[in-house]
Amino acid sequence: MSILKVENINKSFKTLQVLQNVSLEVQPGERHVIIGPNGAGKTTLFNCITNVLPIDSGKIFLEGQEISNMPSSKLVHLGMSRTFQKNNLFGNLTVEENLHLALTATKRYRYQMFHALTKHIDLKKETDEILAQWEISTRRNVKVNNLSYGEQRLLEILLAMASKPKILLLDEPTSGMSPAETAQTAEMIQKLPRTVSILIIEHDMDVVFSIADRITVLHHGEVILSGTPEEVRNNEEVRKIYFGGGAKAHA
Amino acid sequence: MKKNILIFIVFLLIAFVLPFVLSVYGIDLVSEIFIMAIFAMSLGLIMGYAGMVSLGHAGFFGIGAYTVALLGPHIPNSYLLLFFSICLSGLLALVTGAIFIRTSKFYFLMITLAFGQLLFALAWQLKQWTGGADGMKVSAPLNLGFGEIVSPIGIYSVMAAAFIIVYLLLRFFVESPVGKIVKGIMENEARMSALGYDVRIYKLLTYTFSGALAGFAGSLYGFYNLFVSPDVSSWMFSGQVMMMVIIGGVGTLIGPAIGAGLFIFLQNFISTYTERWPIIMGALLVILVLVGKGGIIHWFALLKSKIFYKKRKNSDDYAPQHVEKEEVVN
Amino acid sequence: MSLSIFSVQLLTGLAYGMLYFMIAAGLTIILGVMNIVNLAHGTLFLLGSYMAFTFMNQQFSFWIALLLSVAVTAVIGIIIEKLFIRQIYGKELEQVLLTFGLAFVIADTAKWIWGTEPQTMAVPALLDSSISIGPMVFPFYRLFVVLIGCLLALLLWYFESKTRIGAIIRAGVDDRAMVSALGINVGVVFTGVFAFGAGLAALSGVLGGPLIGMYTGMESDILVTSLIVVVIGGLGSWKGSFIGAILIGLIETFGKIWFPSLSMLIVFLLMVVVLIIRPQGLFGREVA
Repeated sequence: MSILKVENINKSFKTLQVLQNVSLEVQPGERHVIIGPNGAGKTTLFNCITNVLPIDSGKIFLEGQEISNMPSSKLVHLGMSRTFQKNNLFGNLTVEENLHLALTATKRYRYQMFHALTKHIDLKKETDEILAQWEISTRRNVKVNNLSYGEQRLLEILLAMASKPKILLLDEPTSGMSPAETAQTAEMIQKLPRTVSILIIEHDMDVVFSIADRITVLHHGEVILSGTPEEVRNNEEVRKIYFGGGAKAHA
Repeated sequence: MKKNILIFIVFLLIAFVLPFVLSVYGIDLVSEIFIMAIFAMSLGLIMGYAGMVSLGHAGFFGIGAYTVALLGPHIPNSYLLLFFSICLSGLLALVTGAIFIRTSKFYFLMITLAFGQLLFALAWQLKQWTGGADGMKVSAPLNLGFGEIVSPIGIYSVMAAAFIIVYLLLRFFVESPVGKIVKGIMENEARMSALGYDVRIYKLLTYTFSGALAGFAGSLYGFYNLFVSPDVSSWMFSGQVMMMVIIGGVGTLIGPAIGAGLFIFLQNFISTYTERWPIIMGALLVILVLVGKGGIIHWFALLKSKIFYKKRKNSDDYAPQHVEKEEVVN
Repeated sequence: MSLSIFSVQLLTGLAYGMLYFMIAAGLTIILGVMNIVNLAHGTLFLLGSYMAFTFMNQQFSFWIALLLSVAVTAVIGIIIEKLFIRQIYGKELEQVLLTFGLAFVIADTAKWIWGTEPQTMAVPALLDSSISIGPMVFPFYRLFVVLIGCLLALLLWYFESKTRIGAIIRAGVDDRAMVSALGINVGVVFTGVFAFGAGLAALSGVLGGPLIGMYTGMESDILVTSLIVVVIGGLGSWKGSFIGAILIGLIETFGKIWFPSLSMLIVFLLMVVVLIIRPQGLFGREVA
């Protein structure tokens, strides 16, 4: 059974059809990349999958369970987490405080009103572990607004990982990064355990082909092709979209 | 942490010494300040930690006050009266909050204002019970188990104790999971939702807690003033307590309390010279908005950083939170 | 209820509704265009009313008093906008506090000048009669107020859909920087909108004079009612205000007959019901 199944979803804004009959499937442990030119509807697709935007028609399944109209906050508890294309962090809080917020979301004590949050030992332990694993323990007390852009993008992913999701939706994780940072991020994504399936929107073709098990190509809100990297690389239509007619490859 | 305990002890000492130094008028004034401080802190909670701007908070204060006034003759037990006041205002906050919180911040502002005025109108119209515009006397003796408390010092002690209890309660709340979460929601609601938090529940919890505290302040007012009138629910009173929060500084716990102290003091002082305190108050508010930068707490912080330039406190710590919502649309 | 009483009450309800429409329209347009909740709006209504009262005491006719009051209040609106509002564009908490402070200043100044005794205003002689159709009686003045309200609605409709300025104002809501880049002086537009709103509030105040009279605290009453109308109708939508105001006017008038002490509660409950069904108001936009 697939981890995530998107079945024929349609989404339009007034008269503009943004997504048309979009379907895709992510298998457990798979790294599935969505590519497509700007304006293809990729982030909108993410917003629809996570129910930030309501879909006009179609269905979405998470591990076989229909999630088409569930409140987006509930999806995290079912195992789906996402990041954002533009950094969506808590700028005025420290790295540690950001992680605390992310981790507490799935804790049973998240409705406590009079016992200090920081007194919970498991929270401290898990925060320490994450900081150590990604070698940013020294940045623990730095305000997120003062982090480097690359560090912020990393934190963006760490926040989403805090809920130990079954499937992670990454929205252009390398956007705005230098080549060095991009390579670092690609390495990081590869390091992620196969217990987590990943659906990524990516523009950088090197990253795409180094990570992807399967690729879905989106263009003008429609799925052009969904297949292996080889199939995509050799597909005529895809080539035309990306390299025909003077279209620039966008990094 | 040690510094905070030191400040707390100093405060306790001052609070203990004051009644021996002040005149009866002064003691009464400080008692009133303690009550208003509780009220202001309750509003400061939803404004500074949950980002909810309400112009109807006096409604809950009024519920507390009128509960004591109306039930006082029938229920001589002070603890029960306080309990009912808190429960009633908390319940009302829960019910109205459930409806109002779904709305955007402009609507929220306007509806809370209308709600407060509704309670004002009810108190005004239901003359046979509330005495209408003329108000009603409170005949509920304050008795906490050590005899009737009628002396100014007695009242003062009760109010001071209540203030300390509420402050500590708020401190715990702010450090608790819900307190931290609701602050996160104010910082970035979209992300909190994406992290798995049901944002509305947290806002509702905070709003209910805040309403209950406001009701508590109102009930104390009933015992203190021995007279209540519809004005305790009016939107103008709501606006005044908002002024206290702003003067003291949004985003801190103690700021609103300090603002309350300053406001009450100013109000009493200026009112002895002129009847036109509302004009002065309004003008002060306008000036404060145009010129001020975050209230007294801010000014202290800035002053401190100028004097002790070794350890500069980042004034961002106390900045009022303006949340920009970005539409995540491709 | 006899038919004659019913007809008078119906007309009264509509007339009050029109008064609420006039003041709420100003409030909602200011809110929609400038993102400002003008808490001093009720005091502008008050000023219009009291000023007309004073002019009439100085032997001016009702009509001259009406014109003068509206004009003066509009000028006051210009002054407020240029002096105060301009400095806090985009800062929502600040403008709530600022307009609140102004409301206090204006309301107490009015109390200072005109005292706290309730006043009445005479119905202008021209309209001081009624027409009867069978058993139904229609006081002229109330008909007149309804007429003015409808004219205003027509004017707004024409303005919004047929003129360039209307389109600009609609666009100004959505993208200030863009509008500015097109060479349109956003500042002038804002001042104009605020003055227009102030003038409408004064108009409502003067026309309301013969019906409501003047009493302390009326600026709060009218502010709350217009806020409820705006919420029910939807932010920024004068059409919504039109519908909402008529609804409120009718419900309030008939409510007063059947449940005298609870008419405000009924109006409030109506707002709650609308909000539960449609959190953005009847004609409000979907985005929160």
